[in-house]
Amino acid sequence: MPSTEVFLKIGLNHYLFLSAILFSFGMIAVLMRKNVIVMLMGIELMLNAVNLSFIAFAKELGNLNGQIMVFFVMTIAAAEAGVGLALAVSVYKKYKELNIRSFEQLRG
Amino acid sequence: MLMEAIGFYAIALFLIFFAFKTISSANPIHCACYLVLTMIGLAGVFYQLEAQFIAGVQMIVYAGAVMVLFVMVLMLFDIKTELRAFSRGLISGFLKIFSAAILAGFALGAATNSIGIVDEGPPKVMSTNVTRDLSILLYTKYLYAFEALGVMLLVVAVGVVCVSRIKGGTHAKH
Repeated sequence: MPSTEVFLKIGLNHYLFLSAILFSFGMIAVLMRKNVIVMLMGIELMLNAVNLSFIAFAKELGNLNGQIMVFFVMTIAAAEAGVGLALAVSVYKKYKELNIRSFEQLRG
Repeated sequence: MLMEAIGFYAIALFLIFFAFKTISSANPIHCACYLVLTMIGLAGVFYQLEAQFIAGVQMIVYAGAVMVLFVMVLMLFDIKTELRAFSRGLISGFLKIFSAAILAGFALGAATNSIGIVDEGPPKVMSTNVTRDLSILLYTKYLYAFEALGVMLLVVAVGVVCVSRIKGGTHAKH
């Protein structure tokens, strides 16, 4: 029976769908939230969704290069979180709030 | 096959629920806690996909280090629960929802169109010792990229300290 086969045989596409849903959630957080730190969390969510699709393809193709790429993406994501949080701290020192609107008032 | 499907759907529901809570909670501390749970669920998915080493690194780096960094920075600020967590504006809000829906549609459409993108040959076998093969690949073929990554982390550490020590911007009087 092919109809239940699609749902029961977990393959590449199921993981790609999960990855697409998580990526969309992260993107909605970046577009819609006001808080800078929650926007950074949305970026982390998007990076993790991409990592998931890399690993799903690595499993499907039996090729370890995808996992190496995930390793590099994780390192760069950690560095990016550090830089973003340092910028948030320095903006908070000046404006005493974490709204993304306060970035509009930066003057040197 | 049935057990595999049950495991996948359970962990997928877990992930989607906590990712939704991450982006919809009004209090940023709650967002960070839900994001930790999302990262742990993703480590579980990586384990299902036979990437044991990456699952461990995910737990250590994301659910450990990065999220501790987020929570520490949130503790530095005096943040009340936001009354309006989402940004204002009717037209811009509509445009944002619209563009988010279009991009989500693109992502799901790409996933749908990728059915059958990998030819169904005989199932590829991953080597039995993935971590060993991963380390051999990392220290031979990708050695220069690995070293460049180390240099980049050093530069980022120095840069972050410089940025967080700025007193009054670049035009401050000394």
